[in-house]
Amino acid sequence: MFQKILIANRGEIAVRIIRACREMGIKTVAVYSEADRDALHTLLADEAICIGPAPSADSYLDMERILSACVAMKADAIHPGFGFLSENARFAELCEKCSIRFIGPSAAVISKMGNKSEARRTMIEAGVPVVPGSKEPVFTVAEGLETAKQVGFPVMIKASSGGGGKGMRVSYSEEDFEANFQSAQMESIKGFSDNTMYIERFVEQPRHIEFQILADSFGNVVHLGERDCSIQRRHQKVLEESPSVAISDELRKRMGETAVRAARAVGYENAGTIEFLLDKNKNFYFMEMNTRIQVEHPVTEEVTDLDLVKEQIRIAAGEPLSFSQEDVKISGHAIECRINAENPERNFMPCPGVITDVHLPGGRGVRVDTAVYSNYRIPPNYDSMILKLIVHDKDRPSAIAKMRSALGELIIEGIDTNLDFQYEIINDEDFEAGNVDTDFIPTHFPGYVK
Amino acid sequence: MLRDMFKKTYTIIDTKRVSGEKPEEKGGDASPTVPAGLWRKCNKCGKPIYVEDVRNNYYICPKCGGYFRVHAYRRIEITADEGTFEEWDKEMPVSNPLNFPGYEKKLAAAREKTKLDEAIVIGKCSIGDYPAVLGVCDARFLMSSMGHNVGEKITRAIERATKEKLPVILFACSGGARMQEGMVSLMQMAKTAAALKRHHEAGQLFISVLTDPTTGGVTASFAMLGDIILAEPGALIGFAGPRVIEQTIGQKLPEGFQRSEFLLEHGFVDKIVKREEMKETLALFLKLHAKRPESVFQAGWEPERVQETEDESGINTSGADDGVSKDGAAARRNVRRTKIFSAGAVLRSAWDSVLLSRKSDRPVASDYISALFDDFVELHGDRYYKDDSAVVGGIASFHGIPVTVIGQEKGRSTKENIRRNFGMPSPDGYRKALRLMKQAEAFGRPVICFVDTPGAFCGIEAEERGQGEAIARNLFEMSSLKVPVLSIVIGEGGSGGALAMAVANEVWMMENAIYSVLSPEGFASILWKDSKRADEAAKVMKVTAAELKELGIIERVIPENAPASPETLPDIADVMDGAIEEFLKTWGPMSGEELASKRYDRFRSF
Repeated sequence: MFQKILIANRGEIAVRIIRACREMGIKTVAVYSEADRDALHTLLADEAICIGPAPSADSYLDMERILSACVAMKADAIHPGFGFLSENARFAELCEKCSIRFIGPSAAVISKMGNKSEARRTMIEAGVPVVPGSKEPVFTVAEGLETAKQVGFPVMIKASSGGGGKGMRVSYSEEDFEANFQSAQMESIKGFSDNTMYIERFVEQPRHIEFQILADSFGNVVHLGERDCSIQRRHQKVLEESPSVAISDELRKRMGETAVRAARAVGYENAGTIEFLLDKNKNFYFMEMNTRIQVEHPVTEEVTDLDLVKEQIRIAAGEPLSFSQEDVKISGHAIECRINAENPERNFMPCPGVITDVHLPGGRGVRVDTAVYSNYRIPPNYDSMILKLIVHDKDRPSAIAKMRSALGELIIEGIDTNLDFQYEIINDEDFEAGNVDTDFIPTHFPGYVK
Repeated sequence: MLRDMFKKTYTIIDTKRVSGEKPEEKGGDASPTVPAGLWRKCNKCGKPIYVEDVRNNYYICPKCGGYFRVHAYRRIEITADEGTFEEWDKEMPVSNPLNFPGYEKKLAAAREKTKLDEAIVIGKCSIGDYPAVLGVCDARFLMSSMGHNVGEKITRAIERATKEKLPVILFACSGGARMQEGMVSLMQMAKTAAALKRHHEAGQLFISVLTDPTTGGVTASFAMLGDIILAEPGALIGFAGPRVIEQTIGQKLPEGFQRSEFLLEHGFVDKIVKREEMKETLALFLKLHAKRPESVFQAGWEPERVQETEDESGINTSGADDGVSKDGAAARRNVRRTKIFSAGAVLRSAWDSVLLSRKSDRPVASDYISALFDDFVELHGDRYYKDDSAVVGGIASFHGIPVTVIGQEKGRSTKENIRRNFGMPSPDGYRKALRLMKQAEAFGRPVICFVDTPGAFCGIEAEERGQGEAIARNLFEMSSLKVPVLSIVIGEGGSGGALAMAVANEVWMMENAIYSVLSPEGFASILWKDSKRADEAAKVMKVTAAELKELGIIERVIPENAPASPETLPDIADVMDGAIEEFLKTWGPMSGEELASKRYDRFRSF
């Protein structure tokens, strides 16, 4: 087992990882930017080392500085968390070159799954269903339109390097194709210096269902059930739950086995997530694989009673999984609400500042993952997500009731948050009935998405 | 507030490791370290950079974009077609003409370090499938200074290239002469220059690529003798080193002094080429020099036409969208129109033509260049003082025939007009034009000039650098050029400033262009002391295309059914395309002497 782990991240996920290490008896090194001197992860870790100024590019994204910090602090592994360098194949490769264990899959796997076309090809070869679309990349409007006609409208235009909604457009007909194609491609060129585009069938009224998998270095792969992340705003998840009301035991078994097959096909190791689109007729299609721990991993932890970060560390240290698929039991229902420092009234504009007062809910089945505390100043340089509220209860109605109560008890003063927006979602009739798809927010809260 | 408040005690639970067990000791090589050579510090921005990234990025810093020096073999790797490089004179005996103490030891150390016998690698290769002799200096070897061996390798390579009719490309990078070889080293400058002179006289191409740093005796010999001189961005290029200059004149030198961009501005570099575009640029130049035009004409020229694209069928009457794009132009030229143009369909007065010729949306030289030619590469500088933006020129191809194209360039906006000096060339512009014409003559390329100027620039600097001499020199030299010369007046043909680019075998005018000894305003003010009577003057001066055709000053009028504008340009270019083809078919097969003599007679008759 590792003696000391460096956490190459910040915010609540860094705190989450430090806690797992503390519980496992592993020393921790936090890295922090000049803006994060007083951040909780900096204060909670055994050792902390400043790696540069506030902009991420000069600190949390600077591979050389992080690796140098790791060598200097004599940490033997790096946990990348999510975001930042977590899915950077080059970083994983450099860790290996420096004899540092990267807690995650190999550079080759990250790179394979990070490239959407390659990921798709691999999945087709492994017999995993994918959304009908272009197998080959397209580069021009003419090529794209030709493919779109073959695939059938409506189509999704996607940048190969894109993500989080960037470089993505839906085209409903030949008439609006050119404009959408060009704006998606332009976004990709500007954002990722890549003009490689894909065209695929746009799956209408889909649910976003993802399967958590764990794979050790001995070839054992298990899935931990699904998460329903259909509540999204501009492809950013807002609220997640597990299990999904749309998934029967039989379908869970089928999709879970597919996810395991997908993970095996790429020789996956460590924790990962296979994202699927599930259409109204319960057809599911592979979307992408996330090769890291996810923001919404706590809902899976609650219903499976497993600690995913600890499992990640054990796998990276070369230990075998201590349980098999049969041992994985899904019990009860868990929901997570992401609380962001942003103003929903002003188009969700980020709203950094000082938290003058904070009151966190508690009690049985209520979990708060956060890095904020009273008088904490949220720096403007990073992601606006500041807190995850997770509840777990015996079934969905009880979980919703618990979330409603917990949200009502959560007080964050001094900054704007999306707390009330989450409260509205949890109180929505369709949400309560489980009638959701990825268009839930635009259709139910059109006022918020101008 | 929370600082140092958290308790940091641990119980080891929940892992396979039994509490109390000694943590396993790891082997030395498995403990975290950054292996030597994984990173290096960029010597430009000071940031750490991953060596492999640099290698995969043409040896350019991925963080600041700074250029690193490239070892000779790496340079060949990124320049030559894979596996085509065949090295010449790899082994050279040690040369120590002065018996300079310690020199041989120094050479041995350099040979050991670089695994090279000398500071330059020479050989034959192909670039984009075009064969060439390639030489690359390696700065690791005694700063790539030029001693006997370097001069000898270069000279042998040039001589062999002349014999085998191959173009030569040399990547220069050097501190200058090799001090340890004294005067023998100085003689290499003359030796390499002399070999290049013979190569030039044999009609063979030499492209010099200046990289950081090119100084001293190398700058003052082969490096500056290229028919085409390219430079990498930001390279230090100069005769005297900046430190020497600073010490001599006791002044601090300005930012950017002696850098590639400074040399471009001062007319000594044809083009700055980014490293990642170097190979394709060189391949294009090789392509444009692959066959001599006269051999094509004599064999019976069949104009190359690109395949017609599917959606480009028949007559495109709007022509607004595709007219400016190069592909569109090429595709359109394929479809020869059958529209009948009748000159003078609309009756316009001379003054109308004067106004139209000056209209702001009238297409400028570069519009015609992009509408008529493929592969245009602009070349800069007069090799004396400056690059004049009022004249654009370079090499292009016209249905498979390489041609030299030169135009007087007005701007399309006020801002551009200021940069282009409203199309009024300085002496440097005329000297650039002449340099490009002489270059065309050396390679047998026809010259096509687009004339569009209110007149040569009147200014203090223009007189200081000899505006009159520059114009006169062009008339003098153009009269005997041994290649076909065509000049087309597309807008204003202002006096001597226009004539300096119109001593041609044929001179054409656009229907609404004017060509005059003086502007109508100037004429009216000199003769009648009233510049307001310019319209009257225009009438009596006989400045329009139709009148000048009648007078025999010009050979052809290019009709403008509607006055030239971005919309009508495709149609006009189409007619011009056919006319140029006709011109080349007529004049192309003639010998140089015949061309010069006919041109002499043309002007002798006035």
